Amino acid sequence: MSNHATKRRSDGEGHGQGSHKRKRKSKAEKHSASKNDGTVSNRKHSVSKPARDPRDEASPIPPPKRADEDRSPSPVIDFDGLSRPSAGTRERKEEDPKQAAARMKKLSGAVRTILECIGEDPDREGLLGTPERYAKAMLFFTKGYQENVRDIVNDAIFHEGHNELVIVKDIEVFSLCEHHMVPFTGKMHIGYIPNKDVIGISKLPRIADMFSRRLQIQERLTKDVAHAIMEVLKPQGVAVVMESSHLCMVMRGVEKTSATTITSCVLGCIEKREKSRNEFFSLVGLNRR
Amino acid sequence: MTPLVTNRAQSPYTQHHPVMDFDALSWPSQRTLPREAATDEEREEHLVKLSGAVRTILECVGEDPGREGLLDTPERYAKAILFCTKGYEENLPAIVNNAVFQETYDEMVIVKDIEFFSLCEHHLVPFFGKMHIGYVSNNRVIGLSKIVRIVEMFSRRLQIQERLTKQVGLALSEILQPQGVAVVVESSHLCMVMRGVQKTGAITTTSSMLGCMRSTSKTREEFLNLISRK
Repeated sequence: MSNHATKRRSDGEGHGQGSHKRKRKSKAEKHSASKNDGTVSNRKHSVSKPARDPRDEASPIPPPKRADEDRSPSPVIDFDGLSRPSAGTRERKEEDPKQAAARMKKLSGAVRTILECIGEDPDREGLLGTPERYAKAMLFFTKGYQENVRDIVNDAIFHEGHNELVIVKDIEVFSLCEHHMVPFTGKMHIGYIPNKDVIGISKLPRIADMFSRRLQIQERLTKDVAHAIMEVLKPQGVAVVMESSHLCMVMRGVEKTSATTITSCVLGCIEKREKSRNEFFSLVGLNRR
Repeated sequence: MTPLVTNRAQSPYTQHHPVMDFDALSWPSQRTLPREAATDEEREEHLVKLSGAVRTILECVGEDPGREGLLDTPERYAKAILFCTKGYEENLPAIVNNAVFQETYDEMVIVKDIEFFSLCEHHLVPFFGKMHIGYVSNNRVIGLSKIVRIVEMFSRRLQIQERLTKQVGLALSEILQPQGVAVVVESSHLCMVMRGVQKTGAITTTSSMLGCMRSTSKTREEFLNLISRK
């Protein structure tokens, strides 16, 4: 009645008796095992029989990803081209001159309070214009939120058919630590392996600038730059390394002047292939013994 | 040579010579005395006021002060800026602490490569670099770390590099009464590097030469040679 194999498998004791007779799957079972429709029959059961209780069946295998889905596992770019805009970004971007002036006034007032609280005289000659200057400086240091990645890239993607590593290194980066609002400065090295499209090389530092002119932490800055390039260009792989000195650690607190912080974010084929990774790090000069 | 006549008020730091005020603070600012003599309650009040101001700044800049990374930023910034301006509270005699010794020595003493960090008073953005200080002793020497502490005191304020150089020079000459003092400051100004004209390699150098360092060119030359040796 039933075939060989089923008869054998239903007899659990057969395993323990040391009989190593070859179990042959029937044709029907072979077919069902090779069905590729995501159903349960794909999965090899560890004891070679389906579970008794349907609730114990393995969950269906997810369908393969579509080719046009985002390469970046963590999308950075919003629907209108802004990247990780913050709460007041759109308001600041679309304001008219009157609102901009009101904003400056509010900022200057806050700075005057700061000057008074630290024990300085805000009306002495050197400090008279400081509130306005600081306000303008602060707005400059945080202009990255309002930048639109499509304007930055400006269609500078060219079909070159190139698929070797491209590196732009020693990009100076200045950002503001979000915890102390004190600058951290350093160098960023960006490399990517194109998937036939190359990007204008000045766009890489421009993207780095866009993410650095914000209240940031170094880890997030590195990651955001990598993911943004991944989304915009869709290369085979991206690697970003940043080494910087944090004034919040150098000027105050623990006061260690020669300490630098290194963070990196590697995506795509550079992450998977050790050779590409090594090549990137040695070309950038960070393969230290 | 007459200075150019301007309508603006003169800076009290160049007009007003005495290095130490009646209560030994050096070039105190208007509210400096209140800060030094403030009670704990007043300090708390200052901190709260400062934090409020920073919150306003965060909102004006378009950020969300309630997000996780920025929740405590106002307090952290307040403490950071109070630390970076603690020079206002310090006074010279307390720092020097009687560490001036009689020694038959009338040669040059140089302490070089003193790193300092200060805040530009025009933009409230840091400038930092190295200071080289030398003096020609008049049979009095000062404890070497006191020179560095004097630098700290004057740099932890809202400063401009020119004034910082001059103040350190004047303070040393007043305390030590040497034959001559020389101060050379080389620094990088983030207000010029991070914004505005954005030139990263630019270094600003100022110097202050007093006494025999100013009058005798050979002495000055010797000092400048010794600080540029590696």
